[in-house]
Amino acid sequence: MLLTEKQNDALSELINIAFARTAAALSSLSGHRVLLEAPTIDAYGIDELPEVVGTFMREEVATVHQIFTGPVSGDALLLLNYDGAVMLTDLLCEHQRASRRLDASSQEALTEVGNILLNACLGVFGNLLKVHVSFSMPRLHLESLDQLLRSITIGSEELRYSVIVSTAFRVKASSVSGYLVIILGVSSLDRLLRAIEIWEEDQKG
Amino acid sequence: MAKILIVDDSALSRRRLRSILESAAHTVIEAEEGMIAIEKYFLERPDVVLLDLIMRGMFGIEVLKKLRQMDPQAKVVVATADIQTSTQTIVLEEGATSFVTKPFVPEQILMAVNSALEV
Repeated sequence: MLLTEKQNDALSELINIAFARTAAALSSLSGHRVLLEAPTIDAYGIDELPEVVGTFMREEVATVHQIFTGPVSGDALLLLNYDGAVMLTDLLCEHQRASRRLDASSQEALTEVGNILLNACLGVFGNLLKVHVSFSMPRLHLESLDQLLRSITIGSEELRYSVIVSTAFRVKASSVSGYLVIILGVSSLDRLLRAIEIWEEDQKG
Repeated sequence: MAKILIVDDSALSRRRLRSILESAAHTVIEAEEGMIAIEKYFLERPDVVLLDLIMRGMFGIEVLKKLRQMDPQAKVVVATADIQTSTQTIVLEEGATSFVTKPFVPEQILMAVNSALEV
């Protein structure tokens, strides 16, 4: 593990705030209470990434992927179980009857949901740490998670290690569940930790 | 009531904004990307523009700059998923009238539009 106990504690607190903001956004969109599990932070070798993230969800997955750049850069993923993604878009699109698959309109809606949730999470980082991050267009992936993760890791020499910050969430009274995953390279993690130290000092007044 | 141009590449967000604005008796026109938005602005002369930032093609910040260059009186409310204070500062410096974030809250949208109309 790359982090000291103190760093891990400060990062956990920041993640808690960011993921709570994300849950609030999802609750507002879905009209249901959202339950969050405690976030976990772990460092892995880049080769381990597909296997590790693959263990989060073994069923069919709909993934919204957004790249963020700036002083802290990386990849943010919203992973939803496929049936849950269908249900969520049914709620948002007010379909006449329940659907079984994600049609073009549902895919577009799901991409926007991912955009809102990932921005809600990463925006908290930006606001609290006083760094500005820029976001790419969000992309929805319905192919295998493994293929997506390999596309993230290929061509990124900096990404020898990655830190995975993840949390599971569940939209109460529905079968929508998922994970938020943030993948950072080591140098971004280093900058993030420095910004967190400054933030921690500010909190002490 | 006012004529509002919604600029957002998400049909979901455009539908949501349309519903909020029409409930307050505003007239709505839509554009799903920046170049179309600029064309529609000069053809339709809306009273207020609601502008997303992260869009395919031209990003919202570029649309804002172009609109303000071509019409310094353009009233643009930025409506985005990006909740960063630094983003708010940037768009206000570029001449946006105000800044609202997604998910949309009807009262906030209508307040932002009304404030823009009073400028």
